[in-house]
Amino acid sequence: MKKRNLKPLLFLLPILIFSIAFVYYPFARVIVNSFSLVNAKGQLKGFAGLENYRYVFSRGDFAVALGNSLKLAAVNVPVTLFITIFLALLAEKKRRLSPVYETLFALPMSVSMSAACMIFKSMFSPALGWVNYFFGLSLGWFESRETALASCLILTIWMGIGFDFLLFLSALRGIPDQLLEASELDGAGLFTRIFRIKLPLISPTILYVLCTNFVLALLTSAPMIIITQGGPARSTTTLMYMMYASGFGSSDYSLAAVVALCAFVLSLGFTILSFVFERKRVHYQ
Amino acid sequence: MSRPDLNKGPKASRPASITSRERAADIAVSIIALAIGLVLIFPIIYCIFGAFKTPAEFMTPKLLPGSFANLDNFREALQKADLLRYMGNSFIVSFFGTTIRLLFAVFAAYAFVYYEFPLKRFWFFFILGTMMLPGDILLTTNYITVSRLHLLNSYLGMMIVSFVGASQMFMLRQRFLSVPKELKEAAELDGYGDLGFIFRVLLPVCRPVLVTLFVQGFITLWNSYLWPLLVTASAPEMRTIMVGITKLNSWEDENYWLVLAGVCISLIPSFVLFVIMRRSLRKNGLEGALVG
Repeated sequence: MKKRNLKPLLFLLPILIFSIAFVYYPFARVIVNSFSLVNAKGQLKGFAGLENYRYVFSRGDFAVALGNSLKLAAVNVPVTLFITIFLALLAEKKRRLSPVYETLFALPMSVSMSAACMIFKSMFSPALGWVNYFFGLSLGWFESRETALASCLILTIWMGIGFDFLLFLSALRGIPDQLLEASELDGAGLFTRIFRIKLPLISPTILYVLCTNFVLALLTSAPMIIITQGGPARSTTTLMYMMYASGFGSSDYSLAAVVALCAFVLSLGFTILSFVFERKRVHYQ
Repeated sequence: MSRPDLNKGPKASRPASITSRERAADIAVSIIALAIGLVLIFPIIYCIFGAFKTPAEFMTPKLLPGSFANLDNFREALQKADLLRYMGNSFIVSFFGTTIRLLFAVFAAYAFVYYEFPLKRFWFFFILGTMMLPGDILLTTNYITVSRLHLLNSYLGMMIVSFVGASQMFMLRQRFLSVPKELKEAAELDGYGDLGFIFRVLLPVCRPVLVTLFVQGFITLWNSYLWPLLVTASAPEMRTIMVGITKLNSWEDENYWLVLAGVCISLIPSFVLFVIMRRSLRKNGLEGALVG
């Protein structure tokens, strides 16, 4: 009897050990660090109470980083939803060329973040980039204060299109035929069918994409690390970039911990909701 | 766009009754979709064209390179950075990282499906709970842990934070639940132990799902950037390809033709994996159940 109880735990042990060592422990440690004095080697040097929080919140760059992260999320989420739902509606019906344009729509998702950053950095280069040539512009894009954040937005929106498109496509194709045939008999027009029948029926997928994209956008850091270094003049400093810069640039682990926790708290609600909708989404299909 | 979605659905194959109006609408939508698709993948096209351009051609607004036989950029990029070594590093980390992650997920899913034990629900949600904590916010503390374990600049250090695959565990559990319990009994009668049953019976039965999960995991690790960058900061020869391509230029040195050649090289495996993944998802009818 005793042996029977031990065996399953043995099978669970590997994943449990790594869950604790590389997910739960570091998370607990982030919380502890945020209330402590931490030296450059990451060792605890005493209790600081709320001092770290007070320090971070009083810094001008924290407000800037928070604002930038929220701006990214506020624009990225609706724009991505609009583009990907439109593409999915366009591609929904199976036609002879479906495999071709479905692949084109989904292909951006195969490009890794760092590869995309290098491509966009080149395309949007003020002196050598094709975008300025083609549109006859002389914008600085990633290099000027006014346009750097917008350039990062274009990049992150592009990166997210493929995956969300596939989700919407399969959701639309999963709508039972009877529902659409019934509406057709009722004489519903194209827009009525889209807004009254299709979109409500795929709403779990829409809400799921909304939540996951919000979290992803809020935690954006790669374009800033690879292309802009948070600049120019902090115009692209996001919460995660600030965490990266204070943690790995200046080894200030308590500051990094406070910033990371703020980002976590902001995203937590959306993370939980995304699990709720994910479950619904699967049920609907 | 004009009435494109009249009879939707994969089974709308009624060629005899397709009206000419519908056919015209289909053609119009297809053309629009192709045009949009080409705009969407423009950055990729730009990258491929740019990789063949000479530095002089890069100074002109022309999109097409003079000749697709100009391989100088690729040659120079491979010389400037050890891109082939980086590809090898990426491959090692992605392959072993994904294998170990999948193995742990298989073991856990097996325990949840075939055994009863105390606190079963608690442990299940304990593992799923790891999905609530974004890896990004754990970067600094994981970095300190890995450096204390003396795993900086090592393959193990690069993959060790990816060994927990909660969503993989979840999907495997769903799949295992649909495997007839008689198989397990028959395997026991044949004298198979737990490992014998897992590797000789269970996994072969669930092979399509395993392939899908493996390819997905491989892509995620292959494409990851931030963690390998941090872990290999002091050992350039350990860089992965995705870190390597970002080191090909700087603001002062705008040699984009080399960068784009490097990016092209890094994208070849990504595209191959993309095709494999799409195929395996479609084969399994899993397209709606994509997980990260």
